[in-house]
Amino acid sequence: MGRWLDVELNPWGQEVLQGVSLELMYLAILLAVLFVVGHMLWYRSRGFSEHEETVDVQESVAGIPERIVRHTLPSRIFHWTMGASMLVLLITAFVPLLGLEFAWVTIHWIAGAVLILTIIYHVIHSIVWQDFWSMMSMGAKDVREAVGHFRHLLSSKSPEPEKPGKYPFDHRMYHQGIVVVSLAAIVTGVLMTLRIKTPFWEPNAYYPFVDQAVAGMNEMGEPVISLMPGAATGLVFVIHGIAGVALIIMVAAHIYFAIRPDKRYYLWGMIRGWIDREQYLAHFDPDKWSVVDGSIQESPPGGAIADSTVSAPRADD
Amino acid sequence: MAIIRDMIPAFELFQPTTVEDALALMAEHGEAGWVLAGGLDSYDWFKDRIKRPEAVIDLGGIDELNGISDGQDGLEIGAMTTLTEIVRHERVRSEYMLLADAAEHVATPQIRNQGTLGGNISQDTRCWYYRSGWACYRAGGNTCYAAAPQAMNREHAITGTSRCVAVNPSDTAPALVALDAKMTVRGRRSSSVYDAEDFFIGPATDITRMTILEAGDLLTQIDIPSEWANAHFYYEKVRDRGSWDFQLVSVAAAFKTSGNTIEDARIAVNGIAPFPVRLDAVERLVIGAAVDEALAVEAGEIAIDGSRPLKHNEYKQPMTSNLVRRAVRSVA
Amino acid sequence: MAEKIIGTDIAPQDLVAKITGRAKYAEDFRADGMVFAKLLLSPMPHARVRGVDATRALAMPGVIDILRADEVRQIEGRPGEASLTDEPLYEGQPILAVAAETEEQAAAAIEAIEVDFEPLPFVLDPLDSLRPNGPNAYTGGNRFGGGEFSELKWTEADFEEIEAGRMPNGEAAVEWTKGDIDAAFSESDLVLEESIVHQSLTHHPMEPRSAMMYWENGKLHAFVSTQSAQRTKYAIAGTLNIDPEDVILVAEYCGGGFGSKISGNTHMEVPAVFSRKIGRPVMLRITRYEENYIGRARPGFQSWLKMGFLADGTCNAIDLYIVQESGPFGASDFNTAGMIADLVYTPQNMRFRGIAMYTNTPPKAAQRGPGGAQIVIMMEPILEKAARQLGLDRLEVHLKNAPDPDVGFGPRNSTLTSVHAKEALEKGAEIFDWAGKQELSGRVEGSKSTGIGIGLSPYTAGSRGYDGLMVIRPDGKLYVHQGLGNLGTHSIMDTARPAAEILNLNWDQVELVWGDSSRGMPRSSVQAGSQTTHAHSRANHAAGMDARAKVLEVAAQTLGGSPSNYDMDNGRVFRRGGGASMTFAQVAERAIELGGKYDGHELPDNIHATTVPAANMLAGQGLMGVARDNYGGSGGVYSWVAGFALVELDRETGVVDIKEYVAVTDCGTVLHPRSLEAQVLGGSVQGIGQAMTQRWVFDPKWGVPFANRLYTARPPGILDVPLDMKADALGIPDPQTPVGAKGIGEPPVGAGGAALTSAVADAMGGHCLCRTPLTPDIILAELEGLSQPFTLEQHIG
Repeated sequence: MGRWLDVELNPWGQEVLQGVSLELMYLAILLAVLFVVGHMLWYRSRGFSEHEETVDVQESVAGIPERIVRHTLPSRIFHWTMGASMLVLLITAFVPLLGLEFAWVTIHWIAGAVLILTIIYHVIHSIVWQDFWSMMSMGAKDVREAVGHFRHLLSSKSPEPEKPGKYPFDHRMYHQGIVVVSLAAIVTGVLMTLRIKTPFWEPNAYYPFVDQAVAGMNEMGEPVISLMPGAATGLVFVIHGIAGVALIIMVAAHIYFAIRPDKRYYLWGMIRGWIDREQYLAHFDPDKWSVVDGSIQESPPGGAIADSTVSAPRADD
Repeated sequence: MAIIRDMIPAFELFQPTTVEDALALMAEHGEAGWVLAGGLDSYDWFKDRIKRPEAVIDLGGIDELNGISDGQDGLEIGAMTTLTEIVRHERVRSEYMLLADAAEHVATPQIRNQGTLGGNISQDTRCWYYRSGWACYRAGGNTCYAAAPQAMNREHAITGTSRCVAVNPSDTAPALVALDAKMTVRGRRSSSVYDAEDFFIGPATDITRMTILEAGDLLTQIDIPSEWANAHFYYEKVRDRGSWDFQLVSVAAAFKTSGNTIEDARIAVNGIAPFPVRLDAVERLVIGAAVDEALAVEAGEIAIDGSRPLKHNEYKQPMTSNLVRRAVRSVA
Repeated sequence: MAEKIIGTDIAPQDLVAKITGRAKYAEDFRADGMVFAKLLLSPMPHARVRGVDATRALAMPGVIDILRADEVRQIEGRPGEASLTDEPLYEGQPILAVAAETEEQAAAAIEAIEVDFEPLPFVLDPLDSLRPNGPNAYTGGNRFGGGEFSELKWTEADFEEIEAGRMPNGEAAVEWTKGDIDAAFSESDLVLEESIVHQSLTHHPMEPRSAMMYWENGKLHAFVSTQSAQRTKYAIAGTLNIDPEDVILVAEYCGGGFGSKISGNTHMEVPAVFSRKIGRPVMLRITRYEENYIGRARPGFQSWLKMGFLADGTCNAIDLYIVQESGPFGASDFNTAGMIADLVYTPQNMRFRGIAMYTNTPPKAAQRGPGGAQIVIMMEPILEKAARQLGLDRLEVHLKNAPDPDVGFGPRNSTLTSVHAKEALEKGAEIFDWAGKQELSGRVEGSKSTGIGIGLSPYTAGSRGYDGLMVIRPDGKLYVHQGLGNLGTHSIMDTARPAAEILNLNWDQVELVWGDSSRGMPRSSVQAGSQTTHAHSRANHAAGMDARAKVLEVAAQTLGGSPSNYDMDNGRVFRRGGGASMTFAQVAERAIELGGKYDGHELPDNIHATTVPAANMLAGQGLMGVARDNYGGSGGVYSWVAGFALVELDRETGVVDIKEYVAVTDCGTVLHPRSLEAQVLGGSVQGIGQAMTQRWVFDPKWGVPFANRLYTARPPGILDVPLDMKADALGIPDPQTPVGAKGIGEPPVGAGGAALTSAVADAMGGHCLCRTPLTPDIILAELEGLSQPFTLEQHIG
């Protein structure tokens, strides 16, 4: 563990995990920077366009509206609220460690609470009002699309990849990844918050872990001693820490791609809620993301989802 | 690794004679260095082998850090001035009795002979969980053992906590806050002056430190501005026994009065938070008011607004209230 | 005419050495090739050592060897303490020792050792161990009897009482009764009932129990800190299973013990065995931190008390139940407490029940007034309450209940040699002006309320049957050989006074020999239980009489006539009415010539076997006085202290300021007034600390104590007591001992403590907090009507 994980002695002198080390945070920041810079340089060296590609709109516009709804207002509110809380969480978590001191704990747990609320909202919203499973699931086609995309990135001789549906494979992969990492951070974060003072409860160094010297009762109702009290706490801190540093990289990558000029349409989509027809046709496969009428054109895993069509201004209106 | 206490591990001792040399040594040794004033906090840590500096920089030989002199505005006290010297100093006694009074409440005559003002206000907390070497938040770990529901925390904080619930142990700290003292902190390249109030920091800001001092910083001088000279002072410290004991709660107050009307006031309490707490709300209440029992009672009540006791220290609420009440009452 | 010695102030012989720092305590000794040992302490309150890896430590510079538990004496199958253990029963119990050239190297080596501990269930509070399914201190159970461990648990219903802050009457292990308490309570005009907690507290002697030892020609040279000396030598020999004459004990000074270093102590075995193992002298310097763990503590009590009173203040019934926090190896304070309750308040009808529970806290042992101090400190506020409710004066109530000389107390109706408790109360009341201070009782001025209190405290103060040994050498001086320890009470000097007076010597003609067994030590009492003043003023009286008789005989044989024709003064023996005389120097030389009994070549048959080697060692060096104390006597020897205190309680801070304190003792003839005053006031201060400040605190989750330092444990300091505390003595000789002197070490503790708990109860308007120590937090919480954050827990902070 040495370098990346810190250990401490519990009050009984036993070595238990304490959390991730500062080095791991620095490593994550370094990796994030390396990734962004590396990607930029490499992208440039491969001669990919630095600008958003456009298509000739005359190609086929039948039934395609000029503005195509990509994210409804509730979705966007969710996204930005979540993003803001995530940024606050990361800043309050790591900036003090870099040396800028401020009272971060309260801000951190409040931001965490906001994040949890937005996620609850998001889950309910996506299950009830969106086609949750189509977004979440992935199939052979997605993999094929991803492989093609990846080949094209690596080799210029490789054919142009298929265009994606509404949610490209990499986006969904990212989403799945961030779900896992965020949930890890959230679950451990909630456990950690129980250890500090909030208006809702008294702090408890031990709760809710079975992590104290007297670990509980056996079936006879006799006290059972914990063989290594403090170990579970350490594990929680390690998971939270690993999730935290992973989020540094993931969030950095996310922001980077969001503001890359060649992918600007995604950013616009998330800011304005819609992309224009040209962007749609240039970057998406209308077969996979149909916006022609109110029906879902293709079964999953294509990526066409309800909210994009339900609320889209109809071309035949 | 087995734990052993009460045996000071070897360290390299440096005895600079100038502040510049001390700062250079501090910079050279960084985190492995330790600044030694009177040693009353330091040697406890060393003895327990919990803090294990490689290099100890003893300030005892730096003349410029020693002594009390008349400044342009008030008194200038070198950080290494002993508490005994402060207690006995004529001008401190005649004009700033609050400080002499507070200094005289420190521990024992022997400790006051050895302990310095700078050391007294920079000392680490005496939370017994932390001082036992437990890997708590303050020690860089991830637990506050003292805040656990069954924890032994009669001496811990009722306010100003953030994960850590330890209290500032200094007797002179609240007096310096009440006197609006200015702390000169020198680093290698710069020198800053802080209000006493800002010199002490809470765990919300940095859970591992009690003061603004970071590695490489040296508290060199404490100025007592003339603003509060000859004010009406009140100091009281409640402790378990009459000597060699840290406060349960202490109050230091300075009042400018006209008759029994308070024209200006600065009141600080220690022992209830990780830092000496300036009671702004109480000051606002009493400034401009004529002192009577009702005012004193109200001041006491306001003093503990927002405080929240732990399992074993609820008594600190009435104790704080009562001390503040007495401070205000003393004006009448 | 030689000076009067008994009852005068004479500076003790070791005074200059002590105050100039020349006195050598155990840790001041050095020997060629000496190495230092350090202990590795258990970090857990109960554990099993599964493995030790010392490879790294043993490879470190200067490190010589390691000593493990299997190399020292182990006690199997019953509760008992070993100096090193693989199954620690409290946090801080020594597991192993390392020896190195320097102490720093030894400490560093300890840190380099990996010990694999398996934590085991532990218990800190006796009540937790009594809880159904509660943890036991031993893996086998929480009780030991009949050769095996068993479990004793109370019922759920009992614990409902405890949650409500009341001690239940659960199953007891010890019970005795006298009279008929039920009938008595039904006759009582007032019945009071309280649950009371008395804390456990560490001994904290100034000098920790360091020891240096080496072996030379098969003999163990032991330099130790111990309360006793001759008995310590035998204790060490017993532990090591060697001939006592192979132990050369050096223990000239002892920086306090308070019952924690009575004879030998468990951890003396470490340097002895380690030195034998590595063939070099081993110094084990015990630090303050270690002393806190291995240095013993007074057991705490959680108890229930019911007292019945008649309208005239007579206490007619006591029902007392004590649960004792006994640590891992037990203690018997609670039994004594029951006896003392009966003795002080003479109820005639009493039931005592008690149970001592093993706990995983540092070991308990007798501490100055064991059991007696706790019980009077606990009971005195109840008496205050009773007097208040009956509208009587507390002094009157005390006088009404204090025993007369014919008292019989405890389960066996024990008797005493002399009792002057009432006189002590009266004299104390006079000095204190109890009557005049009545009007101050309960007076409130500003935030301060005044309280006055009485504490009446008896304790054992003597034993019989020890030996005296002394030699008049050819330099004309009397050499009194003392087998006692020198722990600062001066009894090592003062008990020699009767011999000097018998021989009509001036004090400068007397040399004291002590602290080194190679110089000859007679069979002595342990320096504990306040025995020595009584026991050894008698033993030295007997040996002095023997020497006197021999001096007279030698004179008569040399100068003619019969011994009765001679008298002695100032180191001369002379014919009455003038004529021939001899100096003691001449007598000594003559005695050597005469040999036989005169110079110790023939010894009395009745002296103790362990006096014989010492006497043999001294035979032929001069005229020997050697005798056993055969004065006899019946009944226990008890001294009494009546303490009176006036306190001011600050109702806004909970701080108690002790304004006045007076203690009057009944300890028989006063040997040394200044030393007596020091004992009475010193003990009182210790008791005041017990009542007011000193504590032990454990984290209940980890079983680890925090008040490990003097500043956290808070024994009282000079500012905690009034500067002009007064002490006086009745000076009524005990009729059953030739010198009339009784001991005094123990009873002042209870008097000081009880005067305080009583005075605080008075200042609080008759409210008993029923818990010690009475720190400001507890008092203020009560005054402010806050709920206390504890009920009957033993270790809080």
